[in-house]
Amino acid sequence: MLTDPSFWLVQSLNSLQLAMLLFLLSVGLTVIFGLMNFVNLAHGSLYALGALIGYSIAEASGSVWWAFALAPVAVAGVGAVLYITLIERLRSAGPLPQVLVTFGLIFVLMDAQRYLWGTDALGVTGNVPFSGTIHIGVEPYPAYRLFIIAVGFAVFGGLYLLLNRTRLGAEVRAGVDDAETAAALGVNVERTFFLVFLLGCALAGLAGAVAMPAFSAEAGMGVGILVPTLVVVVVGGLGSLSGAFVGSLVIGATLTFGTALFPDFAGIAMYAALIAVLLFRPHGLLPARG
Amino acid sequence: MTFRHLLAVALLAVLLVWHSQSEYYGFELLAEVAVFAILAMSLDLLAGYGGMVSLGHAALFGLGAYLYSWLGGPMVGLTAPLAMLGATLGTGAVALAVGAVAVRVEGIFFIMITLGFGQMGYEFFFQNKALGGDDGLYGIRRLDLSGVGIDLSDPGSFALAVILCAVVVYLLLAWVLATPFGAVLKGLHANPNRLRALGLRVHAYRAAAFAFAGAVAGFAGSISAQHTQFIAPHLLNWTTSGEVLIMVILGGLGTLVGPAVGAVVLVLLRHELSSVTDYWGAVMGGFLILVVLSRQNGLIGLTERLLRWRRG
Amino acid sequence: MMKRTVLAAAAAAMLAALPAKAADYKVGILLPFSGVYAGLGAHIENGFMLGLKDFGGELGNNTVSVVRDDTEADPGASLAKAKKMVLSDKVDVLTGIVSSAVLGALRDFVHGSKTPLVVSNAGNDDATGERCSPYITRVSFSNSSITRVMGPWMAKQGIKTAYLMAPDYAAGRQMMDAFRATFEAAGGKIVGEAYPPLQGTKDYGPYISQAKASGAQALMTFFAGGAAISFVKQYKEFGAAKDLPLYGAGFLTSAAYVHVQGEAADGIIASLHYVPTIDTPENKRFQDGYKAAYEGKLGSEFAVAGYDAAHLIVKAIAAAGGDKAKFKGELAKVSFNGPRGPLRIDPATHNVIQNMYIFRNEFADGKVTQKVLATIEGVQDPVNGCKI
Repeated sequence: MLTDPSFWLVQSLNSLQLAMLLFLLSVGLTVIFGLMNFVNLAHGSLYALGALIGYSIAEASGSVWWAFALAPVAVAGVGAVLYITLIERLRSAGPLPQVLVTFGLIFVLMDAQRYLWGTDALGVTGNVPFSGTIHIGVEPYPAYRLFIIAVGFAVFGGLYLLLNRTRLGAEVRAGVDDAETAAALGVNVERTFFLVFLLGCALAGLAGAVAMPAFSAEAGMGVGILVPTLVVVVVGGLGSLSGAFVGSLVIGATLTFGTALFPDFAGIAMYAALIAVLLFRPHGLLPARG
Repeated sequence: MTFRHLLAVALLAVLLVWHSQSEYYGFELLAEVAVFAILAMSLDLLAGYGGMVSLGHAALFGLGAYLYSWLGGPMVGLTAPLAMLGATLGTGAVALAVGAVAVRVEGIFFIMITLGFGQMGYEFFFQNKALGGDDGLYGIRRLDLSGVGIDLSDPGSFALAVILCAVVVYLLLAWVLATPFGAVLKGLHANPNRLRALGLRVHAYRAAAFAFAGAVAGFAGSISAQHTQFIAPHLLNWTTSGEVLIMVILGGLGTLVGPAVGAVVLVLLRHELSSVTDYWGAVMGGFLILVVLSRQNGLIGLTERLLRWRRG
Repeated sequence: MMKRTVLAAAAAAMLAALPAKAADYKVGILLPFSGVYAGLGAHIENGFMLGLKDFGGELGNNTVSVVRDDTEADPGASLAKAKKMVLSDKVDVLTGIVSSAVLGALRDFVHGSKTPLVVSNAGNDDATGERCSPYITRVSFSNSSITRVMGPWMAKQGIKTAYLMAPDYAAGRQMMDAFRATFEAAGGKIVGEAYPPLQGTKDYGPYISQAKASGAQALMTFFAGGAAISFVKQYKEFGAAKDLPLYGAGFLTSAAYVHVQGEAADGIIASLHYVPTIDTPENKRFQDGYKAAYEGKLGSEFAVAGYDAAHLIVKAIAAAGGDKAKFKGELAKVSFNGPRGPLRIDPATHNVIQNMYIFRNEFADGKVTQKVLATIEGVQDPVNGCKI
């Protein structure tokens, strides 16, 4: 098995696919943290919302492309409501109250999802793009997984350009480095916070919508994915785009090769990686601030 | 006697009156409330006074439950008091080892590293067939106090005994916080650099606090195992830790009596609401959000604020 | 009018046969209505309520009232709620229970308090084995009974090697172990196995790749709920159907969600105690009633378990009349034809004895139907250390 090149190829692709899904989820979380200094524990619930809204859009329109396009917008809309009603009020209260509010939101959003979409697992029944397989060498591989990988890279590229080539990106970088100085220099920090929060929510929604055809959509599915996402954020280093990318690759590979090579330790491999990274690099692999 | 000690006495009175008015189900709830009060108070020592917010505290609680059941069960066969002692000290020892590593990081990283250790513990018991795996362990014995005329198999006596344990733990924690060790712990939270400059071994103090809180959590676990006489790995899961953290916040961080109040409110709310509506999670989550939005230090902070406002 | 006449006749017959005494029986339903198992809880409760409606006529002068509570999928909370129902609400019988951990937590209490419990899901073998109780009757299934029948059947189809895959928890292990025993006894060989974590990312790609590389002739699995949907879809994506046909415990393509799996479920062969396409008047009555009552939804095996639990309780009440002490003993003596076929309770273990159906999922015109390939009648568990 270990000498078989197709094993390494296929499992590397599997690992990359999982990594890109984790990246879409963690990048929003990590930038929100870097900028606003709090962890949005309801981020996983937004992922679930993206999947469920995406399901409804796909069923209504007959095309998952509409789901990919509109679910992120809808989830960003939910994010805007949450920001204005809850998060903004707690801006000056410090990080712990904000974390707790998002912890309470997990329960509220989960029940809202159950109320609106019911308790049964859902999945699109219509046509899904890239539903065939592609032969890589001799091995057939799901085209949809390659699509997820492509989406992950595209988002990484887009965010890289956004951060490094636009005014908003410059403001975000300034805000992550030192919010007070940035504000003193005339950056509208509150507006930047708001936009970044919306962007993070939209990316969580996109992750949900993109995952939905390959997995399924279910009320409460966000709770299971939350912990791996948090682990990625911490391993990668808080607040950094490349950190989230590298952290996703590390955790994706840990989960994939951990399960393939050491099945008995599949459950704990991720936590062991987390603890190891924190011990040797207490601020993660590529933190935004030293 | 401070205001908060008075509140603790009032809370005890409420529990005792409740006990006198209760039947079986009331006794079950009271015992659960008292167990979680012990657990929440021990987390308050760590998070409220020591500034170490842990998302792995329930893992130590569950470890205590498993240690008690293992030591007191057919596998080892110790007597119940020895098993309780072993569970408490054993959990404290594990907490010391984990703490020695975890206290090297702070803030959100501390939350995450405790989450990581806790989930490893959860996975360990989930996978461990000898200890029942995910189906759990059953047939756990209670402490036998029939020699002194107390029948702990009676739900009323058992609930009373757990309340007594909670009182003892409250007094113990209050005493510890009043010792020089407690003063250092609070100082570490307020100004770690200053104490470091004074030549204190910050890590050692924080690890010791982690171990002590862990031992108390293990003690709570050994009582919980005797209460339900059945244990399963979900006791160690991070969501249980999250619930205990809610109790602490709901009652008031760093107030000692507050987390006990939080335990009463949360356990009651959860069981009563879930009988009324299947959407009890949303109501509980909404309640937590409202308490946080009030910008007070939990229910205790709110009460103190109201009293101050009325006085002046 | 017709119904009333029948009722009156039933009542008259009852009055003639029994001491003229009737009673109100209080049933306590304990199911998860929140959390990850909330979907199953809803199916079972729906089935139970439909069963009470369909068979309530057999109660005679007796009446049934229902209290329900949420187990919160938490063993400790479930125990407290069960105690409340028995000690405060004074229920005569408990029913429900989805998770085996919850059943484990309740077992000593219902045994000690001599409260009858009719289990309508939790499949742990031990519950009607070493940990059995005269007060616990199971109308759903035992884990090992589901997959045990697949071993000899698959071997007979010429399959010599199989790869096993199930979530890493007790139910998954029990189902796979039972299959392994009978498959190996029939001359088959297990060439590999994998147990993905129960909770996690639900990304089964790495495992499916491993199974394909093993060169096995068949992939035998157990997954349920959202994990089953994800698994079946991902299996299809990997184009594994050609070289590695998929077999499973029937929960893999449950009536509760097989329509979501759609084309991906095509060709999957599985074994279960219930298939929605069973052609009997009892099943037609159940499915028609279920569709009418619950927004045109298909009744799943979970709903059937709730439906049959209600039927069982009603029959025991009818047999005992107003004599509640007698009622406890009657539960295990009941037998009837339900939607799933003939069903009786094993006096040695109080587990259900029922048919197992081996069926193939067939996708056509946008719909999945189940074609029964074999019926194994009267599947009964060994005593497994149970002493009643």
